[in-house]
Amino acid sequence: MANARALDKRRKSIRNIKKITRTMELIATARFKKAMDRATAANDYTRRITAVVSDLARAGLEVSHPLLEAPDETSQATLLVLTGNRGLCGGYNGNAMRMGVKTREELIQGIPNVRLEVSGKRGISGFKFREIAIDESFTQFDDQPQFLDVEAIADRYLREYAAGNLHRLDVTYTKFISVAKQVIVNETLLPLGKIEGADTPVDPDVANGLVSLYEFVPSAESVLEEIVPASFKTKLFKCFLDAAVSEQVARMIAMKSATENANEMIKMLSRTYNRARQSQITGEIMEVIGGVEALEG
Amino acid sequence: MGQIQLIIVTPEQTTLDQMVDAVTVPLIDGEAGILANHAPMIGRLGPGELRIRAGSSEERYYVDGGNVQVESNVVSVLTGRSIPASEIDVAAARAALEAAENESATTPVLAEMKQKSIAQARAQIHMAEKS
Repeated sequence: MANARALDKRRKSIRNIKKITRTMELIATARFKKAMDRATAANDYTRRITAVVSDLARAGLEVSHPLLEAPDETSQATLLVLTGNRGLCGGYNGNAMRMGVKTREELIQGIPNVRLEVSGKRGISGFKFREIAIDESFTQFDDQPQFLDVEAIADRYLREYAAGNLHRLDVTYTKFISVAKQVIVNETLLPLGKIEGADTPVDPDVANGLVSLYEFVPSAESVLEEIVPASFKTKLFKCFLDAAVSEQVARMIAMKSATENANEMIKMLSRTYNRARQSQITGEIMEVIGGVEALEG
Repeated sequence: MGQIQLIIVTPEQTTLDQMVDAVTVPLIDGEAGILANHAPMIGRLGPGELRIRAGSSEERYYVDGGNVQVESNVVSVLTGRSIPASEIDVAAARAALEAAENESATTPVLAEMKQKSIAQARAQIHMAEKS
């Protein structure tokens, strides 16, 4: 039978770890709620942009923009992989890494020049371990990505795309669907392809000027010119937000099961400890009785 | 005179949602004042100053371009960034202006982007100096 004191010591250390994981779970829950609120707030913006685009389409405007169409050749691509800065969040970082590596291999087969950009310390060290060179890395995105930071990155992509140095942009990140479900996806953000709301049917009355839905200032084309880049930026921002929310959910779940496991272990150890203590006491009583009997005899 | 509802939305949050008497928005080619019962309009914003009049108070915001939609007495401003005039970081704006001016613009699209960054920085500096 194990030593009762050693068992007790072990139980104490598990209790300490449990306190830590429990706290981390609570922190992750709070952060998740905040991140979730931000993601919901961002939806409002996207919804309004979609509404404007569909109004433009209804007024008979051909929705076209250089960002929407694929360039003639595709020889320069960039892959952006979004991971977390911290670990202890289950399979979150590992899954994003694996998907990133797979996508990169697929891209390399068809495109001569593939740049790799990684956000998150975990992803950076993961790629370093796999001996894959990273062209650009970001570590400034935590549970609350700032639009300003994302915009700076988005502007750089837009500039490179306009200059013809970038033909395709892929983003690998963890899409948040619900608390119970997050999936790793790879999305092609450039060329944008189509923007939501663009396929609204043309209203003939509006298009022919019989009914005027809106006055466009200075013109519908000009409004569109502003909207398409904005739509790209929001899409990229949404990727960062989703990744942040998913990371918090993953951590919450990982820490919850860690706490549960600790509880289980404490229960098991307590049982063994009690048994060990009991047998120790029994042993001592036996010794005492043995001593008494020896004296009487 | 009636009031209109003004909503300023950025990708991060809804910055403002309140009833106002009048709002002046910086369109790409000049300012436009919007009062109650304005005709439905979709406009393209340029970087500049958005002024709100509610009662006797006047508030000023810097907006970073974007769009404005006016419909049935609701003005929605969609912009990348909106900052109250008092919170503009002049030093950052000056740095941004310098960076933008040093950028090379080899294609028309790049030149347009360069002009836009310059305009954004200038508008911020201008607003900050005025107050």
